[in-house]
Amino acid sequence: MAARGHVQDPNDRRLRPIYDYLDNGNNKMAIQQADKLLKKHKDLHCAKVLKAIGLQRTGKQDEAFSLAQEVATLEPTDDNSLQALTILYREMHHPELVTKLYEAAVKKVPLSEEYHSHLFMAYARVGEYKKMQQAGMALYKIVPKNPYYFWSVMSLVMQAISAQDEKLAQTMFLPLAERMVEKMVKEEKIEAEAEVQLYFMILERLGKCVEALDVVRGPLGEKLTSELRSRENKCMMMYQRLQLWPECNALSYKLLLKNPDDWQFYLSYFDSLFHLMDKSWSQPEEGEHCVEGPVQTTVAEAVKFVVDRMEEQDKKESRPLRGPYLACLELIHRLRQRGCPDEKELGDPLELMVQFFGKFGDKPCCITDLKIYLHLLPPEQRSQFKKRLGELVPLGEAGEDGFGFPGDTKALQRHLCVCQLSRALGLQHALDTEGKLRLITELKAHYHHGLQFGKNSSTPISLSLALTTTMWANMLWQCLSVLEEGLSFSPSNAQFKLLLLLLFCRLGAFQPVVDLYSSLDAKHVQHDTIGYLLTRYAGSLGQFAAASQSCNFSLRFFHSNQKDTSEYIIQAYKYGAFEKIPEFIAFRTRLNQSLHFAQVRTERMLLDLYTEADVTLSLEESVKAMGVCPEEDDIPWDNMRDNRDLTVLVSWDPKDRELTEEHRRLSLEEESVWLKVRSLTLRLLASLALLGHAPSPRNSDKTNENGISAKSSTLQTLLSQLDQTLETAVQITEKQTQVHTLIYLTKGCYCPYGSLLFPHADLCPSLPSSLSPLRPEMLSRCKGEVLEMKDGRLTTRPSLLETLVFFVETVCVVLWVASYSASVLRPLKSSLQKKKKKKKDSSSAMPVVLCGFQEWTGSLQGVVTQALDHVKGQEASLTALKLAALTLEEGYSQTQEECGFTRAAMDKVQSSYLGSLQELGDLLRKRADSLKSLKI
Amino acid sequence: MTTLRAFTFNFDICYNNYGIPFYLQYLAHWPEYFIVAEAPGGELMGYIMGKAEGSVAREEWHGHVTALSVAPEFRRLGLAAKLMEMLEEISERKGGFFVDLFVRVSNQVAVNMYKQLGYSVYRTVIEYYSASNGEPDEDAYDMRKALSRDTERKSIIPIPHPVRPEDIE
Repeated sequence: MAARGHVQDPNDRRLRPIYDYLDNGNNKMAIQQADKLLKKHKDLHCAKVLKAIGLQRTGKQDEAFSLAQEVATLEPTDDNSLQALTILYREMHHPELVTKLYEAAVKKVPLSEEYHSHLFMAYARVGEYKKMQQAGMALYKIVPKNPYYFWSVMSLVMQAISAQDEKLAQTMFLPLAERMVEKMVKEEKIEAEAEVQLYFMILERLGKCVEALDVVRGPLGEKLTSELRSRENKCMMMYQRLQLWPECNALSYKLLLKNPDDWQFYLSYFDSLFHLMDKSWSQPEEGEHCVEGPVQTTVAEAVKFVVDRMEEQDKKESRPLRGPYLACLELIHRLRQRGCPDEKELGDPLELMVQFFGKFGDKPCCITDLKIYLHLLPPEQRSQFKKRLGELVPLGEAGEDGFGFPGDTKALQRHLCVCQLSRALGLQHALDTEGKLRLITELKAHYHHGLQFGKNSSTPISLSLALTTTMWANMLWQCLSVLEEGLSFSPSNAQFKLLLLLLFCRLGAFQPVVDLYSSLDAKHVQHDTIGYLLTRYAGSLGQFAAASQSCNFSLRFFHSNQKDTSEYIIQAYKYGAFEKIPEFIAFRTRLNQSLHFAQVRTERMLLDLYTEADVTLSLEESVKAMGVCPEEDDIPWDNMRDNRDLTVLVSWDPKDRELTEEHRRLSLEEESVWLKVRSLTLRLLASLALLGHAPSPRNSDKTNENGISAKSSTLQTLLSQLDQTLETAVQITEKQTQVHTLIYLTKGCYCPYGSLLFPHADLCPSLPSSLSPLRPEMLSRCKGEVLEMKDGRLTTRPSLLETLVFFVETVCVVLWVASYSASVLRPLKSSLQKKKKKKKDSSSAMPVVLCGFQEWTGSLQGVVTQALDHVKGQEASLTALKLAALTLEEGYSQTQEECGFTRAAMDKVQSSYLGSLQELGDLLRKRADSLKSLKI
Repeated sequence: MTTLRAFTFNFDICYNNYGIPFYLQYLAHWPEYFIVAEAPGGELMGYIMGKAEGSVAREEWHGHVTALSVAPEFRRLGLAAKLMEMLEEISERKGGFFVDLFVRVSNQVAVNMYKQLGYSVYRTVIEYYSASNGEPDEDAYDMRKALSRDTERKSIIPIPHPVRPEDIE
């Protein structure tokens, strides 16, 4: 943990046991030991801080914080205390306090290299670039070491990168950074490679490409040795920026001769070639040759170059490289784009692709390679292409079912590749229903046959293919059965799991999804990129406990990212990896602004409120503990990053069926609107919770009364925003055919808050005449069977579950409103009673408000009882459903085994529905209990 | 056919076995030792990650392969060999005496591949790998290949007795 080098220091010896306890996670003992030590040595500040760390780690944040502040105000200068405080503040997510600590320390010990350096790092942790620049220079003045000087330079670059105003970056920060480096260059003080890299970075950002090139090609460039091809890569980058096509072309050519498999240089070679042709560039007179060597300017030269590379590979005895063959297809593609007839020189794309398949068809990458160039085939050649490929797949004699099978893994891989290609060519989509069904049978047979070559090899792909085919036929249950069967053979196949997960979600059965997701073993950044698969459905299907757990998976990742990344930014400064610093920061920002992060954050808090608030803690306490502030919107709407990996499910579909940018845009729009609905709901609940209570300390200048009206105006603003957002949501559902189910539901089920809360905002002093009851149609929307057996068919209506969840959420909200109303009415009633006693006028009736309220709570009670009956009824009919009696759909014959898998899937759905209903019922009962406390 | 480029820290990191801090640590310290290979369609084919460490005075300064990973679809194309070659070249330039790596003794495919690339078993490290529950899981081979600086190839003379993880540097 902290530096413990100086064993001689008696304090170190005394503190050591506490460090050891903390390191071993024995926080209680650490606290005890610290207390013991503090009795003897009152002034051993570090012991206090270590105790605070122990307290922090046992959840006593407040105590830990005040203890730490006790030490911090003394402005300690001993290393142990400073380091321990640094650790503590980082764990408390208060890195900004570390800067204060070291600011005080360097004031007291102005010549300490160590403390200045810690101060620099503390600023780096919180991104105080300006102060970093100064701290770096201060360090350099104390100890003139180059790294310190360049820390300061890099801090200027960071000021430029983070500047809102690009002009400021270009005219102030970067030029200043440039001058600082130039000074060192002039004084011949440049030492390290990192310093040259930083110089290059600055020039590049300034757009001074010529100067940057000079640096790379000059003596300073000789220091660029660590990274392979560092100088070449940097030159290439500058040639492209400067549009120096002859140099670009010659360098690409040179690099390709060295490594004919490096794809990026084929691209730059072709790009530069065509630029040169367009400019009718011609070789200059002798003596003025391009610094990078010979330049190629004609199609003929390019064709010859590519053909030569292919021949080179053909002659090789060892494994041929794919690069040249694909470069040939790429060149045809480019020539065709330009309408250049010379493509014939390279050959017929069909023949070339068949040859490519002959060479690489047994490699799994063959499909991803060829897929890019399928468009070179005219539609009428597609079937022929498939036929030609088929001839290159050695299959055994056809059996009774008419299918021949591959005899080894290589043949199997070839067969798979043909299947994938014929799908990508749209040939499978063109089949009629009968053809598709036969294809499914064939692919399944291939899958079963292929299992002998390895359960987790690529064989299951054929099954996936079969499946997606199945989907067209809308045979959801059979799909599930095939997948369950596949998973039983290939238990670690992620594609099976993903497909299953999606299907179960579509069916509204969340229970099996949790296990599937956790067996995917999603790691780190995947919590952001594929976490949406899980969390999107969790809460809305009534599995509150699982939903909460799922959100936690993701949240834990996001929270640790913030802390971790900062530490490595510091490391990057230490090791001079300046190029990585902006990358790390961009990565951190990308995660912090993630749509998914905002979603799980919001859903998690809503879930906690709906399931826990007013059960263990009051609504107000819960809201305060979460730190939700109704006035503050913490979601970066304008910079939201959509990090979802929407292609996690492998697809071999033809191009016209692939996911487009437009799909992604629409999906993001929906998700954002839905998030807005939810986050406004959360803030509304927060504002309801804080209504009528003493204003928070930060508003303490306002009077109590003003505080309340300010809050109710927040409430009104939020309500109108929610109304608008719901309106937008409705528009989306009308505009699009395929929408997020949840958005769809907003249409009728998610709009009661406006009418419910609004009248209550101005509750004092008189209650509005119309208290909106829970509208009866809300419950009636939930009526119907989620799972039903009709004519031997099993049908599901998962939207009923989602509607029911919204209904229960609404009940929660209404009850909170009621409880607020009750708290307002109670004093009113007691003052009336006092008056009554004085006047002894027994004839005066109860005021209308009070009667109204009682009537209202009565009707509420009624609706909740009805809802509970409904849930009970659903549970009963679900339990009574005997799936075993079911005969499966016709038109698709299943073996007995397959039927078993279908039944198993059905059972999972049934039990998941039951689970959802039970959780919903439990929550309703909990809420019904709180009705009793509403008596006034 | 592959695009080989320096690793830029972004969402490429999807296919990983390690936590983000682990990658950040390497990128902050040895960015040149982190190379990715990309297919023409943009798919991540594989990556190699390593570092340079050890005392020059004791002739132990060397390149180390921390992770080498090739996506299943891009295996059997010679990509791993290419990436290893690049790491060796970087280590050559840094004046390393050898390159080393650890591999599970049971991973015969990998051991054979490294042997083909010129590596030999230098020593066995007992219970180098542990299972997710922290229990010792398996031994590792420490495999080495001498670089040109080690003219007498002293660095790769095998140590006959197995060592424990705490005894290696």
